[in-house]
Amino acid sequence: MSRKLMVVLYAMLVLAGAMGLKTAVTAHGNGAPVLTADGRPAPAPW
Amino acid sequence: MLGPVDWFIWVLSLLFEASVIVCSLRRKSFRRYFLLNLYMLISVLISAGTFRLLLHYGRKSLEYRYFYFYSEALLIIVLYFALIGLYSRVFEEMRVERYVRLGAVLLLAGTACFTYAVVSQSSHRMLTYFVFELCQNLYFVGLVLTYVLWGAMLKLKETRALLVQIVLSLGVYFSAYAASYAISNLRPDLYSYTYRLFPIIGCLLPLAWAYAIWRVPEDARLAPARLAVVPR
Repeated sequence: MSRKLMVVLYAMLVLAGAMGLKTAVTAHGNGAPVLTADGRPAPAPW
Repeated sequence: MLGPVDWFIWVLSLLFEASVIVCSLRRKSFRRYFLLNLYMLISVLISAGTFRLLLHYGRKSLEYRYFYFYSEALLIIVLYFALIGLYSRVFEEMRVERYVRLGAVLLLAGTACFTYAVVSQSSHRMLTYFVFELCQNLYFVGLVLTYVLWGAMLKLKETRALLVQIVLSLGVYFSAYAASYAISNLRPDLYSYTYRLFPIIGCLLPLAWAYAIWRVPEDARLAPARLAVVPR
């Protein structure tokens, strides 16, 4: 397999792993507001 | 209104971010870790903008909300490229920079397409949801990429101490974010406590980087045996 195809395969694997992890984390959630990880104060929920 | 704890954490975070840039300039490693420093520089500028908006419009205003989430998207994309820059440094001897760049662009485009597919069914404020979801997705992509990079560093027996410290602190940052995200979703009743975790996590990354850049010389090496336990 060419190197470029390997790169595409790795990228897809990482994406699938990341989205799978996120789905696993939020599977039992009820859509609670989630914030971003920096030091700034988060805005009030919508 | 912001409480004293919010102000304290924010100012502390701002000081740590500025200290990364100062330490890099003092150590003459600003250009060597340009993307990491660019991330910190943009973060400081965005904090200044956030401060101005907060004073003018308040925390509940639409202006503040939009600025917060759109600037966060910019920050996480710069952090993503900073992480890709670390990949380039780890694999620089293998001369695969072209493939690393190709993979980074493909992965970013794939994440954007996936996010669009998820939010496209929501016609109401779609662009805002897209930006918000893209941020969340990129945090998880960053988490997986950091662990893959750490695995590659162990495999390649990477011994540059500064690089090891920077990658490990990124791993802790993304892991702590994912854990807080999980707690927020699984136990929404604890939200009044867990929402403080996110800015605290945001403080720790620049602190770890500033410490690493200040205390660890560029040519410092770790013994490979300290990185991985080799089975006998």
